[in-house]
Amino acid sequence: MLEGAIGTRGRGAPTPRVGPRRSQVVAQNASLVVAGTLLVAMLVLYIVLYMGSLRAFPGTFEAASITDHAVPLSLAAVGQSLVILTRGIDLSVGGMMDLSNSLAALKLQGGFATEALWTVIILLVGAAGGLLNGLLVAYGRIQPILVTLGTLSIFQGLALWVLPSPGGHVAGGYTGLFLNPNAPTALIWVVLLALAWVAFRRTRLGVQIFAVGNDEQAARANSVPVARTKVIVYVLAGMLAAGAGIALATTTTGGDATGGDVFTLSSIAAAVIGGVSLFGGRGSAVGAIFGAFVLTLLVDVLFFANIDPLFQPFYQGLFLVVAVGASTLLGRVLVRRR
Amino acid sequence: MSTTSETTRAPSALRLALNPDRRKILYGFIAAIALFVIGDILKPGFASSSGIQQILEVSSFVGLVAAGQTFVILIGGIDLSVPWVLNGAAILMVAVANGSDSNLAIGIAVGVAFGVVCGVVNGLGISLLGVPAVVMTLGMNGIIQGLSLGVTHGLTCGGCTKPPPTALVNAMTGKTLGIDTSLLIWLVVIVIVTFTLSFTTFGRRVYSVGNSQRVSHLAGVNVKLVTVALYGLSGLFAAIAGIALAGFGGGATIGMGDPYLFQSIAAVVIGGTYILGGRGSYLGTVAGAIVLTTLVSVLLAQNAPDYARDIVYGVVILVILLIYGRQRGET
Repeated sequence: MLEGAIGTRGRGAPTPRVGPRRSQVVAQNASLVVAGTLLVAMLVLYIVLYMGSLRAFPGTFEAASITDHAVPLSLAAVGQSLVILTRGIDLSVGGMMDLSNSLAALKLQGGFATEALWTVIILLVGAAGGLLNGLLVAYGRIQPILVTLGTLSIFQGLALWVLPSPGGHVAGGYTGLFLNPNAPTALIWVVLLALAWVAFRRTRLGVQIFAVGNDEQAARANSVPVARTKVIVYVLAGMLAAGAGIALATTTTGGDATGGDVFTLSSIAAAVIGGVSLFGGRGSAVGAIFGAFVLTLLVDVLFFANIDPLFQPFYQGLFLVVAVGASTLLGRVLVRRR
Repeated sequence: MSTTSETTRAPSALRLALNPDRRKILYGFIAAIALFVIGDILKPGFASSSGIQQILEVSSFVGLVAAGQTFVILIGGIDLSVPWVLNGAAILMVAVANGSDSNLAIGIAVGVAFGVVCGVVNGLGISLLGVPAVVMTLGMNGIIQGLSLGVTHGLTCGGCTKPPPTALVNAMTGKTLGIDTSLLIWLVVIVIVTFTLSFTTFGRRVYSVGNSQRVSHLAGVNVKLVTVALYGLSGLFAAIAGIALAGFGGGATIGMGDPYLFQSIAAVVIGGTYILGGRGSYLGTVAGAIVLTTLVSVLLAQNAPDYARDIVYGVVILVILLIYGRQRGET
């Protein structure tokens, strides 16, 4: 996979050393623009199909439904993006969501104090899981894909131990935080997440993450604490996955120890569609949020296009490949133009 | 771990015969034997010849899928489409054969061809379009899943609920030439794959591409062709495993391929193949597949609950990686 990075960056004539920084800025923003365009296109397609089949304009209920479904994926995708930016990958996201989802369904009830306490505990469980990932990657020097493959299995096992069969529920007052059928209030979380990213991106840590992802050796030479940066990134990703698991428990108002599994791959898909490069160092969490909404909208688009739900994975897979293939080709064309 | 210091010293014959890569294979087989011994102590009769044969039979399906996974991981790729290539090939074979022995050959041919085509498309997307392997094969998995479910209406179509042809069932559950058929198939695959990787030009090209695509390209290796061929092979082996599994289990079911994604990657990695490519062998993967299956069998014999199996799986992979999967330190 690393070799592929070289292949996509500079084929043919060696690129002059003069303006790599400017080209990188262009590349970064281009992918975000592509992701945004994709989101708008998807939104238009959704509205057209919706009006075609229901003869009405989608209202706040629809907006709320889409947002409620997109929030867990957005959280997971932002965590995934952080890891991918450091040239890693986090396959344990699904397992961590299983675990936090199970814990949330069992514990998030019985008054404000207990609910608040358990929210913190669940986030800390996520942080602990992320810490394990981070330590094994940074100090154990094992490839991220393998570390998280192993911890995925461990987290899935722990989730089944916590909640052997689907059940439990989240207190009604708590679900209101993420789930509101009448208005897309959950959009607040998404906006907060995006704003947090924009602020975070310019912090020392934010810059270090990009440095590590772009060139680890160079980052180390410039006294970036590479190992520490990686550990923090995995801890953040673990916490975001735990948050995503809580959000998932509220939107489904119950727990399922396998309910988070699909998010491992869909979080990667969302990040990639959002323009986060799997080769590290390029992308934005805002793009990943766009990607999460695109994927959520895609399900509704397929529904209103009267496509047999059994075919759904086909279109999702095709969409992923075509979107990424097209943007890769587009990137190549842009590079060649310069 | 630095190889240069070992070569500058006068290497003893034993040192040469047991280079780090070969040592990993040896450790793998030792671990498998140790697990059999532990299993037999915990549950007498575990390591009886029939018990061992059973476990090896189960390992053979993992081993078959992992053969393809070994190929693509050797060039630094990964194949996440294994579950549904396997499943799709099994469904196709069952549907085409339609329960009759006379159609079995066509069914197998169609199933295998399907696997190869899926793999080749993966390879083309990765090498020509430049889509990352993770994304391409992930998308392909969804594409085949959707097609399989949609076209067969959730596996309720006329042909696909039929049991596979009896000839296949008899072959897969019986013995051929005195050993279990699935084991025989695996043995043939082991010989062919090991020979291909170790003694053919193609094998050398695989390692060369895995070490550096750019250098291989400059040395005249057709990197794209090798990539496409290897993903094609991965599809081929997944399809073979699917067809064998359908015969062994008496039919094609939805989700029959799902466990093989994790297990095939784990087998490859436990077997000492480097995830970024260029180093490793199929014999290691074979050892990995046996270790993994034996471990599960030991746990099952202890009536361990599902969650314990998941946790032990994860811990074992991490421990093995900590022992010998670490990258060289950055100096």
